[in-house]
Amino acid sequence: MDRLITYDQRLAKYQPLKNILCFDDFDQGMCGWMNLMPNYTLENFGVRDSFVEKTQWGPIMLSTATFRFPGTHGAMDGIYSLKLATRPVANRYEEPPAPGSFSHTIKRLTAHRPPGLLQFEIWYAYTPEMDRSGLSENAIRAFGICFDLQDDKSRNFMGVRYVNAVNGTLKKEWQYMQAAEVSDKSWAYGKEGDWCKRGVDPLWYGERKPDGSTDGFKFIPGSRQELCYNETDDKINWLYLRLLVDTHKKEYVEMQSRDKTFDLKGIKATNVSPYARIEGLLNPLIWIETDCHRRVFLYVDSVVISTA
Amino acid sequence: MRQFSTTTVEQRKVFREDFDTHPMEVAWAGEAIFFIHAEEISGKDTALTASVQISFDGVHWVDEGTAFSSITTTGIFFVKVKHFGGWLRLAGNVNGTNPEYKLTIHLVLKE
Repeated sequence: MDRLITYDQRLAKYQPLKNILCFDDFDQGMCGWMNLMPNYTLENFGVRDSFVEKTQWGPIMLSTATFRFPGTHGAMDGIYSLKLATRPVANRYEEPPAPGSFSHTIKRLTAHRPPGLLQFEIWYAYTPEMDRSGLSENAIRAFGICFDLQDDKSRNFMGVRYVNAVNGTLKKEWQYMQAAEVSDKSWAYGKEGDWCKRGVDPLWYGERKPDGSTDGFKFIPGSRQELCYNETDDKINWLYLRLLVDTHKKEYVEMQSRDKTFDLKGIKATNVSPYARIEGLLNPLIWIETDCHRRVFLYVDSVVISTA
Repeated sequence: MRQFSTTTVEQRKVFREDFDTHPMEVAWAGEAIFFIHAEEISGKDTALTASVQISFDGVHWVDEGTAFSSITTTGIFFVKVKHFGGWLRLAGNVNGTNPEYKLTIHLVLKE
């Protein structure tokens, strides 16, 4: 099919690949993004035992980014962004995440094109709940984006996160998802029989160390970066983030944060044996994690998912 | 078509003392229903009251005037609200001797 393309002006701030799978502007509603929930497959809609409690993550919502005295920020385009909001609870970094310490959103898709380049772009902002005086940049532990992918050979989590603070100390470095060579038991914080396999859900599985490292991610060298947090908790600035991966090679290609691009070529995704009933899975995920007993928010103006 | 969204603001959580639900931004919606599903109750002389609250910033809250009748048995209960501005939550009061309420609370929003 020959195409005559007229670009939506709102796409001008993105760098999509040739085929746009999603352009989700949250002025149009939730666009299929929803809260992550576990599998309610047991008696009375119970869930399988796990060290990480996934029924309590903070619910997402459409936000106007409104604060006490500044009033309404709105979004980068229009009024509404998708807000991820944690609950006001956290464990120390090196412990398993507390129930409610994450907010997480997922869009459930499947692959419809041959494997190859796949890109995730967002414009976003972040801040803690402004429920007290002072400056609280270090209330936010981390946020990120990733794909949860599966074909007939493997399941692969490919993503990046910004480690903002660890136990109250600012870190401000980027990491990519890649599982350390550990057992499934170690991956689940030493719990015997946890359903999760090494390499799956590195957002919260994989043991964590006080320096901000984890068995689920690796630091991108030289990636410490300022993100224009601003001078007060009630001023937000919209930021650009882009992740490019190759689903044929199952490798990273690059990521871009603000105006800086980090080369990730040749870095392998972690291969996990396929799970049942999810072949073709192409789920983009976005999340934020609090570092203290305080709600923290990630505002997503819009998302573009594209393929070569 | 009108926008619509149902959110589980609290999920199978056991409440033993007073609580506030997850603050929800609702500026896009014109009408809302809070459902409380009380799955299990234990204790003596237990009673749960819950009031709808509104806010201008999600931090400072005030009663909207709508409230649930006292919940003393298991079951599904609801209240309806309109004209609520940008934010909604419930403020719950748990009363009785050693009270425990296992609750799921849904917020149903329509443009």
